[in-house]
Amino acid sequence: MKLSRVNTLLLVLIIVINGYTIVVPFLPSLFYKVQTKNGTRIHQLEQKVQAAPPANAPNSLTMPTALFDGQIFDGPDARTLSHGVWHRPGTSTPDRGGNTVVAGHRFTYTNPVGTFYHLDKIKSGDPIGVVWNNKSYRYTVTEVKVVGPNETSIEAPTAIPQLTIYTCTPLWLPKDRLVVIAKPLEVQP
Amino acid sequence: MSEKTRFYILLGLLIASIALLVLANSNASNVLVR
Repeated sequence: MKLSRVNTLLLVLIIVINGYTIVVPFLPSLFYKVQTKNGTRIHQLEQKVQAAPPANAPNSLTMPTALFDGQIFDGPDARTLSHGVWHRPGTSTPDRGGNTVVAGHRFTYTNPVGTFYHLDKIKSGDPIGVVWNNKSYRYTVTEVKVVGPNETSIEAPTAIPQLTIYTCTPLWLPKDRLVVIAKPLEVQP
Repeated sequence: MSEKTRFYILLGLLIASIALLVLANSNASNVLVR
């Protein structure tokens, strides 16, 4: 191959890679605007929170306001985050009460729309649904706060059942943690 | 500028672009508590 053709190929690759690096971080915001334009997607997710889970449904987390609906995975270390929502080891589960803690990436280039990108849009009173061992658990958000990265107290056991969801904030930086705390409403069979 | 010089410049820019993407992803896909 002629060197001039190789140079053209390199130039195209540089443009594509840098274009991807620049454009992809804005895709979740674009999708959010499109999907919330008529409220259909949020309504669909709210209905999912209300509904009983289908048979053999995987463990999952649904946050209509954040347009999030994803599977929860158990795993020993942070590599589990590459699959989706990580149920933090050593924390409780919805069926046992106490503090159920899940974490997720705020943004990744590998899965830009499947993360907690919009967790900051959640506010007190918003509904959250969890399917755990084929049972549906409904929560309502009671607190949204930002804590430091070493604030391990957010994972501490609690006397009353609660769901703690956290990710990094601000966007692009792992400086602090954005924490959403929700209390259960009821358990659906 | 010769094609060979252009090749080395573009190769350098390509490597820098890939490094930037990897760095951006590692910063975005953060480390969690602890």
